Amino acid sequence: MNDIIQSVNKTDDSLMIGGVNLLSRLLVGTGKFSSHEIVPRVLEASGAQVVTMALRRVDWKNPQENILNYLPQNTILLPNTSGARTAEEAVRIARLAQAAGCGNWVKIEVVQDQRYLLPDNWETLRATEQLVKEGFVVLPYMSPDLGAARRLQDAGAAAIMPLGAPIGSNRGLQTKELIRILIEEISLPIIVDAGIGRPSEAAEAMEMGAAAVLVNTAIATAGDPVFMAQAFRLAVAAGRLGYLAGPGERRVTAEASSPLTGFLQEG
Amino acid sequence: MQIVVNGVAQEIIPECTVFQLLEDEAVTLKAAVVELNGRILKQEQWQSTVIHPGDSLEILVFLGGG
Repeated sequence: MNDIIQSVNKTDDSLMIGGVNLLSRLLVGTGKFSSHEIVPRVLEASGAQVVTMALRRVDWKNPQENILNYLPQNTILLPNTSGARTAEEAVRIARLAQAAGCGNWVKIEVVQDQRYLLPDNWETLRATEQLVKEGFVVLPYMSPDLGAARRLQDAGAAAIMPLGAPIGSNRGLQTKELIRILIEEISLPIIVDAGIGRPSEAAEAMEMGAAAVLVNTAIATAGDPVFMAQAFRLAVAAGRLGYLAGPGERRVTAEASSPLTGFLQEG
Repeated sequence: MQIVVNGVAQEIIPECTVFQLLEDEAVTLKAAVVELNGRILKQEQWQSTVIHPGDSLEILVFLGGG
């Protein structure tokens, strides 16, 4: 199995984001794990190079250990701006994360809707414009809308991260057709973020031509998160290979795979 | 004297520095980030920054997130 992954990685198929060549097209989130201790094993099994985390107020009554202490040294940190309801709040969180030594990558996440946690594309665009000016590598989480994606591209986003389904829902590619249009029309890498609940759905996104996927809940809430991380690693690699290979044409009627002549009963 | 930490009023000793406050509260210092009155306070400034009455501090750390 490792041979398969290595052979995929050996093909010159890296993903360039923010001046970095990523060999892994699986980005992993660190929320919802039963303990911090499992996170390093999950990350190793996933092969992910880019990892997300959130910035929160210290809870004095119940101080939690910093998640950064559990991430491998060479991880590319992708702090999110979760909790932000406006562009200004997202910008503030991004600056704080940078001041904390997190580097200059940021996942913009601006949400007002608490039931579905759907992103506000307008505020997301405003935050993207500002943070690009400040030199951040900006990856905006967004509702898959072509007009908004074009504006984010023009604003200098490093990639576009449309949702497949609401955060944490494990419902897969509910927005498939809209994501397909983004992949077709937007030249930036499209990273499907949120909603992917099964390895097969990650493979499907990659087969469609998504540049990468970001997975958190599906791994964190699996019966065995380490196994699931490995399953996603394989699924992403398989889907990518399938995309590169170029799937054959779909047909309504059958087309025989075996020759239709030379039967035993003929002649 | 009274200050506000993460939105909650708190009594601290006079002449307390940001570094002392964090030390007393036993926060894992690594990669904590501090905002004093809305301005980011770099880690190298924690020792030299004395907190004044009425100051507002935000003290944040990284937690798991997607």
